[in-house]
This record gives sequence, C-alpha cells and structure tokens, in this order.
Amino acid sequence: MPRRCQIPGRNQVAAAATGLEPGTAYNRRHESVSNPEPAAVSAPGIVVAGLRKRYGATLALDGMSFTVRPGRVTGFVGPNGAGKSTTMRVILGLDAVEEGTALIEGRPYHGLRHPLNHVGSLLDASALHPGRSARHHLLWLAHSQGLPARRVDQVIEQVGLTSAARRKAGGYSLGMRQRLGIAAALLGDPPVIMLDEPFNGMDPDGIIWMRGFLRSLAAEGRAVLVSSHLMSEVQDTADHLVVVGRGRAIADAGVADLIAAASRDRVALRTTAGRHATRVLTHAGATVAPTGRDTIAVSGLPADRIVTLLSESAVPFSEVSAHRATLEEVYLELTREAVEFHAATSGEVVR
Amino acid sequence: MTAAVTRSRSGRNGLAQVVRAEWTKFRTVRGWVIGTVAAALMLVLFAALTGAGSVQHGAPRVPVGPGGEPVTDSFYFVHRPLAGDGSITVSVSALRSSIPRGLADLRPGVVPWSKAGLIIKQSTRQGSPYAAIMVTGGHGVRMQDDYVGDTAGLPGPVSAASPRWLRLDRSGDAITGRASADGTHWTTVGTVHVSGLGPTAQGGLFVASPPSVHGMGTSGSVSTAVFDDLRVQGSWAGGDWAGDQVGPESPSFSGYPPNTSGSVTGSAGRFTVTGAGDIAPAVRVTLPTGGTLGEILTGTFAALIAVIVVGALFITTEYRKKLIHVTLAASPKRIRVLVAKATVLGAVTFVAGLAGAAVAVRLGERLARANGVYIFPVTSSTELRVELGVAALLATASIIALSVGAVLRHSAGAVTTVIVAIVLPYILVAIPFMPASVANWLTRVTPAAAFAVQQTLVRYHQVSGVYTPYEGYYPLGPWAGLAVLAGYAVVSLAVAAVLLRRRDA
Amino acid sequence: MRSALHAEWTKVRTVAGPLWLLLGAIAATVALSAGATSVVTCTSAGCGGDPTRLSLIGVILGQAPVAVLAVLIISGEFGSGMIRTTLTAAPRRITVLAAKAVTLTGLVSAAGTVAVLGSLLTGWLILPGHGVTAARGHSALSLADGPTLRAAVGSVLYLILIALLSLGVATAVRDSAAGIGIVLGLLYLFPILSQTIGGPHWQRLLQQIGPMNAGLTVQATTDLHDLPIGPWAGLGVTAGWAAAALLAGGLLLRTGDA
Repeated sequence: MPRRCQIPGRNQVAAAATGLEPGTAYNRRHESVSNPEPAAVSAPGIVVAGLRKRYGATLALDGMSFTVRPGRVTGFVGPNGAGKSTTMRVILGLDAVEEGTALIEGRPYHGLRHPLNHVGSLLDASALHPGRSARHHLLWLAHSQGLPARRVDQVIEQVGLTSAARRKAGGYSLGMRQRLGIAAALLGDPPVIMLDEPFNGMDPDGIIWMRGFLRSLAAEGRAVLVSSHLMSEVQDTADHLVVVGRGRAIADAGVADLIAAASRDRVALRTTAGRHATRVLTHAGATVAPTGRDTIAVSGLPADRIVTLLSESAVPFSEVSAHRATLEEVYLELTREAVEFHAATSGEVVR
Repeated sequence: MTAAVTRSRSGRNGLAQVVRAEWTKFRTVRGWVIGTVAAALMLVLFAALTGAGSVQHGAPRVPVGPGGEPVTDSFYFVHRPLAGDGSITVSVSALRSSIPRGLADLRPGVVPWSKAGLIIKQSTRQGSPYAAIMVTGGHGVRMQDDYVGDTAGLPGPVSAASPRWLRLDRSGDAITGRASADGTHWTTVGTVHVSGLGPTAQGGLFVASPPSVHGMGTSGSVSTAVFDDLRVQGSWAGGDWAGDQVGPESPSFSGYPPNTSGSVTGSAGRFTVTGAGDIAPAVRVTLPTGGTLGEILTGTFAALIAVIVVGALFITTEYRKKLIHVTLAASPKRIRVLVAKATVLGAVTFVAGLAGAAVAVRLGERLARANGVYIFPVTSSTELRVELGVAALLATASIIALSVGAVLRHSAGAVTTVIVAIVLPYILVAIPFMPASVANWLTRVTPAAAFAVQQTLVRYHQVSGVYTPYEGYYPLGPWAGLAVLAGYAVVSLAVAAVLLRRRDA
Repeated sequence: MRSALHAEWTKVRTVAGPLWLLLGAIAATVALSAGATSVVTCTSAGCGGDPTRLSLIGVILGQAPVAVLAVLIISGEFGSGMIRTTLTAAPRRITVLAAKAVTLTGLVSAAGTVAVLGSLLTGWLILPGHGVTAARGHSALSLADGPTLRAAVGSVLYLILIALLSLGVATAVRDSAAGIGIVLGLLYLFPILSQTIGGPHWQRLLQQIGPMNAGLTVQATTDLHDLPIGPWAGLGVTAGWAAAALLAGGLLLRTGDA
C-alpha cells in the first residue's frame, strides 16, 4: 500500500501542523503568535444562535443553535436535507439568514480580515478549476490571505498530495480532491476547522487517516466541526454531537451523555423462555419489549431484582446485562421524527 | 412494469427513443424553454419596436405602378394631349448630365440611366401607365413601358455628330417604338400594349436623370437634352407644348441639385429640356423611406443570440455536470445521441422561430402601415418564405451552436464562436466604407449569407442603385444563402460527430 | 485588497485559458484590421473613410475574446462552485469583485495596447499600397497625430470598459453562456438595430446609447461633426454601461447567497 506511506501518523501530523509537541494546548500557542486581530477569549470556537432561513416554501433553518468548543471533535449529524450544509454556508457568510447569528471566535465571518487564519473549511471538494493544479489552487488561496508559498508546500505534504500536487485538479479522484480540500482548510493554521462530509468518496485507508487526523486536530486544541449523514462515520471520532433535523438542533450533547440518556435503565435479558419471563416480569411491574429472537429488553426494574425474580420463578436465562445503546440507535431515535424524506420519496433538498 | 413493455420495442426504433429522451431533457430545464420562448418574443418585440418606432405621417404617398410595385415617376415632361391614335417623331442630338461635387459645384459626368426621348402616358399622375422610347446616358436607345418593361435598341451614345431619331406610334393600346440613326432607316425597337391609357393620353418629350451612384452613396443629378425636328401626326390636340415637372414631391424623388431646376426652352420643333428624377421602378436608394420585411424582422439577431445560447448549453451542460456519462450509458451510440439532440433542438427552435416570425411580420407591418410607413410589397408566398426562412435560419444556427458546443465542450467559447461567426460578418457588411465586392463576398461565404432569406427587394438592371447586402440586396438567392449556413451546420455536426466518437466522454 | 489582488493574479496566471484568450484577442484584432485595410479601394472621389478608424476596426472582433475572458473570470467560479472558496477566503465580496476588475484591467490594457499598436502598424504598412496616401489627403498613420493618438488610447480604454461590462454582467447572471450571450447581444445588437429601426431620431439615439457604437466613436479622426456623439462622450457612454453592469453585479453578489 504505497499511499499509506505518504500519510503521516496522527502525532506527526500534529507536530507538522503546529510545530509543537502533540497535546500542547492550541489556544495558548495561538495567542502567543503575533496576530493582527486581538485573540477572542470570550467565545472561542463557533457559536450558532437561532438561525432561520427559507428557500421559497421550504424552511431550511428553523432556529438552529449550537456551540462548537475548542479541543474536541464535534459531530454534526442529521439526515439529508436537515440543514447541515446550509448552516455551514451561513457560518461562512456565504448564505444570508433572516434571523440569528453565527459567530467565529465571537465575531461574524465578515468581520475577519484574514478569515482562513481563523477558520478552515471544506464544503465541496469538487469546487475547483479543472485546469489548475492543486499547488496553484492552494497558492492563490494563500495569496488571498497574505501567506507565503512555503505554507502551501507544508499543507500539501501534510495531506499526502505531494506527488500529485502539480497535476491538473480536473484529473483527481474524489479522495484526492477531499485531501486537497483539507489542505485548503489547514492553510491558515486556523483554530477552527469545519468540514462538510469529509468522508465522502474516501477509501477505507483514507477514512482511517481522516479519523486520526481529525482527532489530532482536536488534540491540538482546535475546534473541529465535522458533518455527516452517517452516524457510523463520526461515532469513533466525535467527542460531542449536534444532531439536527428539520432545520434545528435536536440534541447538542457529549457522546457519553447521549448514549447514557438513550440507554436509560434498560436491562437486556437473554432467555429461551421469553413468554414465561415476560409474564413474571410484567407481573412485578416492569415494561418488557422483545428485541430479538432470544432477547428482551426490560425497563423499570434493576438487574439484580430481575435475576432474583427469574430465579424464584425458575425461568431459564443465559444472560442479564445493562443495555448500552449504540450511537446509531440514539441517532435513529432522535431523528425519527425529524426525517423529512423517507425511503419511499427519492427527492432531496440540495441546499 | 410498463417500462419493460416499452423497452421491447426499442430494438427497432432506437433513435425515436433517444429523441424522446432528449426532448424530455430539453423541456424540463426551465432556462432552455424560457430561452427558446424568449427568442420568439424577441422577434415580435423588435418587430413592434421597428413598426412603432418609425413614423411618417403626412409624408407624400409612394407612387405605385400598374403592377403594384413602388415606382419613381418624377421627370420633366413637355407634353400635349393625344386624344386617340397618333405618332410623334423627334431627333436627339445631345444628352449631357451634371453631378454635384459639393455645394454649388456641378460638374459634367456620366449618368448611365439618364433618359431623354418620347413618351405617351395616361396622365401626369404619378404611377400612371406609359410607353416611352429614349436615348440614355450609357445604355443606348431603350424602349420602356409601365416602369418595369425595358427593351434595348440602337447602342451607343448620342452626340451632335451622331444623333438618334426616335418615334412612337399609338394605335389603341398598342404603342410601337422605332429608332433610327439617320432619320430615314427605321428599326422597330418594340411594340407594347399599355392598358388603361384612356381616350386622352399625354404625349411628348421627357428628360429624366436618376441619382448618380458612386461607391455606397448617391447624389442627385440633372441632365439636359437637345431635341430637334419634333413632328406629330394624328389626334393631337392643338396649342403649345406645356413643360411640367411630374411628381415634384415624391418619396422616390430627391429633387434637383442645388441651383438647378427643370426647364424647357425653344420652339419650332427645336427644344432644350432639362430634367431630373426618373421614370422607373423604385429601389432602395431611390425610396429610402420604404420599409422591408427584413427590417421588421430585426429581432432575428436577438433571437439568434438566445437560440445560440440555448443550443450551446444543451450539450455543454452535460459535459460540465458529467451528465454526458449518464446519457451515453443510456444510449451508447454517440452519433445517435448527437443526431437526437440536433433533431430536438432544431425542431423546437424552428417551431418557436416560425411562430415568432409569423406574428412579428403581421404585427410589424400593421404598426408600420398605421404610422404611414410604406413597406415594399411582397407576395404572400414571399412572406411565407421569409417566415419559414427565419425559422430555418434560427434552427440551423442552434444546431451549429450545439455542434460547436460538442466540439469545444465549453459554453462561453461555443456561444462566442457561433455569435461572432454569424453576426459579425453582417456588422462588417454594414460598415459604410466596406467595398461592395467585400460585402458581397462576406454574404456569399460566411454564415451571414443566410440572412438572404429575409430579402424581399427586387433589383432592376435598368436602375442604378446600391445593390449591397446592407441595402437589402444579397448576392445569393434566399435558399442558396440558407444553404450556405446549412453547409456550415453539416460540417460542424460532422466534426462534432467524429470527435464525439473518438474522444473520451 | 492587496492580498485579494494577489490571489486573483495567481488564479489568472495558473490556468492556460486567460493567456490564450488574450493572445486570441490580439490576433483577432490585428487580423480583422489587416483584412479590412487590405480591401480598401480608392476612387477619384477619395477613399470613403477614416484610415485610422479602418485600421482599428479589428477591435470589434477582438472585443469578443476579451468579453469571454471577463465573463469566465467570475462565472467560471460560479460554475464550478469555487466562488464559495473564494468568498470564504475573502468574505468582503465587493473587494473580490474589485480585485477581479483590477486584474482584468491590467491584463486587458496590456493585451489591448499590443492589439491596437499592431493594428495601427498593419494599417500603416498596408494602406499606402491601396492608394490611401497624402496625395488623396490622407496623411500616414502616426501616433504623433492628436486624433490618431486619441483613437489608439481610446481603443485600449474601450477594450478595458468592455471587459468591465462583461465582468459586471457575468457577476449578475452567474452563468457563462448567458453572460456572454447578453454581452455580445448588447454589443452587436445596437449597431444592427440602429440601421433597421425607422426614423433618424431613433437611429441617432440608438447610436448614442449603444455601448459599442458610442464607445467606438473614440476611434474617429475625420468628420467629427457628423458623429452621433463626440469621441470622449461616446467612450463615456460605454463607461456608463460598464459602471451600471458592475454596480448591478456588485449588488447581486452582495445580497445573493453564494
């Protein structure tokens, strides 16, 4: 796997990106660097409050509010058309809203003089001039921020595009375009990174690399917002989740909290005598629901009480365990109401 | 399950399905439908602007000849009534013309179609029927009748050393013209039947001097002829010869050069007559206020731009959005896809263009006539030809845009190339100092040749005019001009087909 | 603004299109000028025209590639979606538009100067061979001649204004094909309309307000009193068109979602 060799490990990436040992608090370093803007201590990261936006008859954003804090990866998940991309475009000042504010380090995007030094973003990896090489694409971006060409070569190396950097971008694969987009986001060495569906089009190697990369960016103290419509893509990466549906955040919590909340006090019971067990436990005041061929979920009774009850009634069982919900379940439960388009309808709101 | 049923028929008639697919593609993109409708509306809008923009209320009426065509009927006439049959003879020993070279600077010159001779005319009313025999400045003796008729007689110019004798004989409606170089040996130039001369016609001497053409411009000329030996026989009324300017105020007569006027002097059969104007069919330079269908259809250019944009986008969008991959996956025969696209685009554009042109012509004519503007008359078949021709021009241009789009795969490049190729030659043709030879060449070989489908003006060999494309006279016939554009379409379509097959999609 | 300008300049020089379009503009201008001057025929009455203007006639063709370049410089970004990257890097949208305008002005003034000088050179070489000589009252083309210098400088300015007009239109419509269609329509339709639309009043008005007719009066060196509009005033009309287009484009860029 030759490509593998080009991908620096997580810690090397961190070192390359910051010039510091991995784990060093990013914010402190950022303030120490000479920076024309005063460091925004009041509200680091991204603060989105009460965004409301309409496309014709469609309400795209309906009071979207959440916060992206430094030092962790925030997953931005929700079904297609829930308003993730629109929110990101609003944060970047590309789309206007009727109500609400989106602030980066306490300031609106328009107020940033060299915005790429504050927030790096990747919206659409294929938004390139097909006739321009990756290096030249990054070069004009660097020039727009007053950054030296040296910085371009650094980020190209960082994302592992060195060998292809002088080829026309029109011939790039989707994965290569994603890497180029990531390089563009890293160009200004920003404290906030925002990526829209970065896993799209990546091969398994690339996905593993991307996860490590995102974690390392957060470990350096950056605020990282990563959107995805697939929970599986972010569940091993994100520390914090913003789940959106129908234009608003329906959950904004830590991954652990979300799982705990969804798990509640349920107990998983494996038994071959499901009917007998159900009768016994219901009689004792529990709520019982079958979850599989041999499994039932019990709530309303602690695990030790269940074991006692089943033993007393001579119901055979092989396993009693505290139920731990998967993120997928949390997500499905949260978004069940919010899914706008079910499988039967094929349309998708693009923006 | 209907899809499976439909598919079973596909083997035999694949093109129809591809055409249907392309039609569905076309009609479901709002911008393309709007563009095509806009093209039709452009034709109507500009026709309305042209029709409403020109106002000529109160202008003198355009004289119309017996055949319905606009005519110039302004000349100096020395006449007496002729109440029945009779004949008239005269010799012409000089015909000299002068052309102004600036204000009050009249210089001798040759006006090829200056005329001096005998005429029998229904009346001095403009447009009335006549027959005449005359010497001309550069085309020898001619016998002409009812404005469009023209027969050549003795060649050569006239001078004191080599005068010409002319004679007209009227017998009922038949008038015979004869000419002689010596006054004794006569040759018959022609006999014409002039209907509607009436019982009492006017007969006598006349001098006409049409505008002199130099380069792209004209200037009014004046001519003087010396007549001798004037004799009449038959039912001529007695009394003096009366000198009159026929049609002094006429849209097809620009008047005398400064400090000149029509006149007759002399007696006892010897007269010197000075005149200007012409007795001939009107052409563009002699009737500059007349409108044409081509002008009413000015919107063709705007429509052209709209259909070119749509035509180019119909293919380049597929490349930009990689939709071409889906298209070619659905119908792998690439030429068939191109043909289907051309068919759909051409048909849609043709229909829109025809509808637009038909409405535009009627609306424009109506508005213009209501404003007192004279429109050069056309037969209904010519009008239909113009409408069909404009529709075909637009359809062909859209197919060229499609082909160039398939070759360049770039919308802006394709749009620019096709607009410049079709419209720019026309603009160059209209540059005042562009020599006629170049203008004619441009309208023969460039795609702008197709604008010939709009021409409705007739050129007359017996009228000196500026017969250039700018004035509405094209070197090629209407369909031949369109064929030039069609040739470009075929070539570009062929190149597109070859490249479409050869290149990766 | 400086870094936005630097970025735009980098964009322009890192793809092949702009260079080819500028070379195309030069070639088209000189070629049409050479073609037109080589078909001049002189009669005893004169050569029926303005030798300077004839030598610079190629501008009416050369403006097409210039317009394409100007349209693509913005609509190409809208087409690919790269405009979002651009506006993310420089959120002040008017600055982006201004940077593009300045870059265009620089490119077109360079190419336009070459094209105009090349055209005058071909005229200087070709016209005397066709009888356009001092004997017929036409002095040889020379930039030392005031009106000729004005025609040359004005032609370069005209090309710049056409580029800015195209940029404004393309910013407003955001589509390259529609943009170039509108621009070429504005340029080429007015002269055609002014020929066919009835009434001398309307004709004169159309020639006064058409961006191409009016602007190119700056090339006139003879019969100045017969022009529908004065040379500099005419160029001013074109400037008005360019300003209006840029204003419309700027407003729509500011208010619209990217």
